[in-house]
Amino acid sequence: MGSTKFILGMRDQFFNELYKLFQEDPHAVFITADNGAPTLDQFARDFPDRFFNVGIAEQQLIGMACGMAFEGKKVYVYAIAPFVSLRCYEQVKLDVCAMNLPIVLIGVGAGYAYDIMGPSHHTVEDVSIMRALPNLKIYSMADGSSAGELAAQVHRDRSPQYIRFDRAGLPEVYAERNIEIGEGLTQLRSGNDLCIITSGVMVHQALTAADLLHQSAGLKVGVIDVFRLKPLNGDALKQHLRNVARVVTLEEHLLAGGLGSLVAEWMIDEDLRMPTMRIGQDDRFVFDYGGRKAIWEKYGLDVGAVVARIAGWMRGESGKAVPVPRQEAHGVPQGTAY
Amino acid sequence: MKTAPLASASHNNASDMEERLRRKAQWVRSTVLEMAVKAHSGHISTAYSQTELLVALYYGGLLRFDARNPKWNGRDRFILSKGQGGIGLYPILADLGYFPLSELENFAGVGNLLGVHAEWNIPGIEVITGSLGHGLPIATGMAEAALMNRDEHLIVCFLGDAELFEGSNWEAAIYAGHRGYRNLVCIVDRNGQGVLGPTDPTDRRLAADNPRLNPIDKKFKAFGFETREIDGHSFAEIFEALRDMRSAKRKKPLMIIANTRKGHGASLMEGKRLWHYRVPEGADLELTRRDINEM
Repeated sequence: MGSTKFILGMRDQFFNELYKLFQEDPHAVFITADNGAPTLDQFARDFPDRFFNVGIAEQQLIGMACGMAFEGKKVYVYAIAPFVSLRCYEQVKLDVCAMNLPIVLIGVGAGYAYDIMGPSHHTVEDVSIMRALPNLKIYSMADGSSAGELAAQVHRDRSPQYIRFDRAGLPEVYAERNIEIGEGLTQLRSGNDLCIITSGVMVHQALTAADLLHQSAGLKVGVIDVFRLKPLNGDALKQHLRNVARVVTLEEHLLAGGLGSLVAEWMIDEDLRMPTMRIGQDDRFVFDYGGRKAIWEKYGLDVGAVVARIAGWMRGESGKAVPVPRQEAHGVPQGTAY
Repeated sequence: MKTAPLASASHNNASDMEERLRRKAQWVRSTVLEMAVKAHSGHISTAYSQTELLVALYYGGLLRFDARNPKWNGRDRFILSKGQGGIGLYPILADLGYFPLSELENFAGVGNLLGVHAEWNIPGIEVITGSLGHGLPIATGMAEAALMNRDEHLIVCFLGDAELFEGSNWEAAIYAGHRGYRNLVCIVDRNGQGVLGPTDPTDRRLAADNPRLNPIDKKFKAFGFETREIDGHSFAEIFEALRDMRSAKRKKPLMIIANTRKGHGASLMEGKRLWHYRVPEGADLELTRRDINEM
C-alpha cells in the first residue's frame, strides 16, 4: 500500500468557484509559492496579470500579499499547508493578522494527507498555532461541495482567513445537504448517548464510527462537523449538546492545541461539565510509511480503534488512549530530553 | 518639546536648503535624545545614522506626502523597515503635522501614541515593523499593486544593514529583480553595526564572531537592482543619488547603499556597539547634548 490515490479534491472545487469570483472582481489576486493544482492553470491562463508565482519563498509570499492588500487587493495565497502556516508564521502574525488585512491563506494537505512524505509535510500542529492569532478565521473542510460553497463567503469576508484543505478527494457529505457557511458547524447526525465533534477528513471516520456504534452497541451517536474552527460557534454547539450525555472530539491533529483542546477550553469557559474524551495524535512526530490508513491504524485513529475506544469508555473504561510505544531514532527515544 | 526651527522664507539656492536641512537634522537628533532620556529607552544611535537621509526625504522635497491627509492615495509609500528607527522618524512626522508635537513628550508612556517600534496605527507610518526583514517583501507587493493600479507613486523602503541578514530580504530581492520594479526605491542605512559587532568586520577576532555582509552592492546588482553608493550624511550626495528616482527611464529597482555612522553626531556613541540601546546619563548626557548643539 502506497500513498493515497490522487483524485480531484476539495481544493479544486474551491478553485473552480473562486475562478468565477475572479471573473467578477478585478481586485482579486492570486499568489502561489510554486504550488500548483489542476484547476489553478485556468487562473494563470485567464488572469495572467493577477496570478503570481513567487517561487518557493513563503516569507515573500505573505509579505507581498500584505503589500497588495494594503493597495486594495483581495489576496489569495497558496502553498502546501505546513509551509503557508509554520514556515512564514511571523509574517502571518504581523503582516496579515496584526494589520487585519483581506488575505486568504490556502493550505493543502491538512493532517496526514501527505502521508508518506514525513513530518516535513504532515500538518498536525497548524490549528494549534494559527488559532493563537487574533483576527484570523480558520476553516477546515470535509468535502468538495462544502469547499465550493465556502468560496463566496471567504471572498465576501474582508478579514484574514486560513483554509486547511485535504489533499485527495474525499467522499461527499454535503452533496445533497445544505451547508450554512456562516454557522461554522453542521450537525450531520443527531443522537443523545454520545456526540462526536470533528472536522475535516475525520468527519467521514466519525460518520462510520457512529453507524458502527449504533449497530454493535445500539448507541445513538451524533456527529458535528466543525468546519470553522475559529471563531467557534459556541451558541450553536451548546444547542446541539443540550441533551447529550457524552462528548468525543476526533481529529487528525496533535492533541496539543487542536480541535479537542479548543472544545475543552470552550466547555470550561462555558461552565459546561460533561464527560469528554479527546481522540487525536499524541505528542510525537510520525516517520511511518505505507499510507494514511497505516498511520491511523498505528496510532489509534482508524475507525476500528475509534469505535473500540469509545465503546470501552461507554462501558466505564478509562478514556485514556493506550500508549503507542515510542519509536527509536538513532537510538534515542523520541521525547527524550538530553 | 520645542518645535523645529522654521524654514527660512527664502531658500532658493542650494546652500540655503542645505543649511535648513542641517538645522532640521540637528533638531531631530536633539529631540530624539530628549525623548529617550525621558522614557529611559530608545535606539538613539540607530536614529542618528539615519537622520540626514530621513530629513532629506521629508524636508528636501523628495517624498510626496500630505500630512493633513496621511492616506492620500498619491503619496509615496515610505516603509521604515528598520522599525527600531521609529524614534528618529516620529519627530519629523510630528513636526510636519501628522500628529501633535506633544505626543513626543511622553514617548512610550501610558496612553501615548508612540512606542519603540514603528506601528501602523501611527499617522504617517504605513506598516508594522520592528521584527526585521518584513519591509522589503511588503514593498514588492505595494510596487506590484501600484503598477496594476497605474498609480505613479513610489515605494521607498528604508532598511538597516544588519537587517539584511534576514533571509526574507533576499526572497524579496529575487522577486523585485525578476519583476524589475522601477517604482521601488530601497535605501540601506549602512551604519556598519549590528548589536554584537560590525556587519563587515575587518578585525580577525571580530570576523570570527560576526558574519560578513559585503559586497552588498554586487549582491543586489546580481539580484537585478541598480545600486548607488553614497555618504548617507551628505545632503548633496543623497540628492544626487535620488535625483532621477521618478524617472520613467529607470527599468530596475533602485538600491541606495548609504554609508553612515551609527550614533553620528554623538562622540560618545559613534561606531560604538555599547550604545545600540542605551540612554546616556549625567556627564555622558551633557556631552551628547553639547555634541548635538555644536553640529
